Amino acid sequence: MEYLRQMGALIWKDVVIELRTRERIAAMGGFTVLVGVLFNYAIDPTVVEPQAIASALIWMTIVFGGMLGLGRTFHLEEEEGAFQGILLSPIPRDALYLGKVVANFILLTAVTILVFGVFTLFFGIQLGGHPLALVGVVLLGILGFVAIGTLFSAMSARTSMGESLLPILVFPLLIPVVIYGVTATSRLFQGLPVSEVDGNIRMLGAFAVVALAVGAGLFRFVVEE
Amino acid sequence: MSGKIRWSGAVLGILGLALVLVVHWQVFYWVSTERTMGVVQRIFYIHVPAAWVAFMAFGIVAVCSAVYLWLEDERLDMAALAAAEGGMLFTSIVLLTGPLWGRVAWGTWWTWEPRLTLTLLLFFIYLGYFLVRSSTENSERGKRFAAVVGIVGALEIPLIHVSVQFFRSLHPEPVVMTPEGPSLPGDMLTTLFTGLAAFTLLFLAFFLFRYGLERMKRALAHRQLAGDGVPLPEGVSS
Repeated sequence: MEYLRQMGALIWKDVVIELRTRERIAAMGGFTVLVGVLFNYAIDPTVVEPQAIASALIWMTIVFGGMLGLGRTFHLEEEEGAFQGILLSPIPRDALYLGKVVANFILLTAVTILVFGVFTLFFGIQLGGHPLALVGVVLLGILGFVAIGTLFSAMSARTSMGESLLPILVFPLLIPVVIYGVTATSRLFQGLPVSEVDGNIRMLGAFAVVALAVGAGLFRFVVEE
Repeated sequence: MSGKIRWSGAVLGILGLALVLVVHWQVFYWVSTERTMGVVQRIFYIHVPAAWVAFMAFGIVAVCSAVYLWLEDERLDMAALAAAEGGMLFTSIVLLTGPLWGRVAWGTWWTWEPRLTLTLLLFFIYLGYFLVRSSTENSERGKRFAAVVGIVGALEIPLIHVSVQFFRSLHPEPVVMTPEGPSLPGDMLTTLFTGLAAFTLLFLAFFLFRYGLERMKRALAHRQLAGDGVPLPEGVSS
């Protein structure tokens, strides 16, 4: 119970900071809409139907937009030694990690809703007839993404390469999320039955569980001196 | 470098080099030509052993990294580093020989065949491993970061493997390699094992030399830092 209360305090802190500064959400939201605009001019609709590549476009926008925000997960804490303060407080390291993951998850969920809004608006994409399965696929996918991204953003923030290191560390490990996420989303967009994406949802779930467990276990080696 | 490491490295290295010569002789003059793929299949005896060593090296990196985080023994970190450099080298050999073979056998330089993809991703995980090490000013921190990358990479590899195989099932290969296994004829098997032995020995020699070098570098850095009047080796300026 104490553990959850501590996690909750950390999540609340991050959410309130984000609501007040709107720094990351503005950057990620702006990125998302502008990518939609760029895609509109990059894709020739007489050659390729946007609906046919919609799930790929949506997932790539989520991943790239997500990297933008994830890279700055620990940005505020790095200033004026604030992170030392958090480390000195009697919060277990894994609660700190999980708190950050949840805060990032909330942020990325908001961005994902925006991505879907922008792409359905700009390209008139049909989302298929299984909204619940779609929500499940997307949420599990971004949970795994955020779990890996949060661990490595704590790492990259403390290197001289900074955020430019993050994609090199995260993208190779993200292959399962992209493969299962994109194929499941694409099948749902085509209106295939939910049984067609059962296996994908299980794999996305497995990835998220492994990523969370590994992150929670190894986070202390990344933040401690 | 202590005498023991240097000597065992030299012995393994010479043995490995000798076997590299033997495997080349076997590949060019001895082993019989594979029926469907022809002469190009002979790259198999370089390609497959290199892949085997690359994955073995990754295993060593992961195990040494995990135990390093636990015991914080400097030697384990040096071993992980040495194995990762050897692994990077052999991964590069796999990625260079693969397309050469693929161009002739499959008619394309690159294909998203699962093992190919996995090796490419392994290369990038190794790259990240070295980048976190080199981009941290605090070297203790860099060692821990690298260890975390090594462990996460190893734990995710099975999931990546399963997922790239899943992806492949959506895009069947136009020409699928015939499965070898025990059906491989005797001389081919012998050549393959010569290659395996050669590359494993060479890897172990690289590993030992790199380990010894790293140990000397750290001892030197330690002496310079301590400044306790210990004379520096000749030809080394601070």
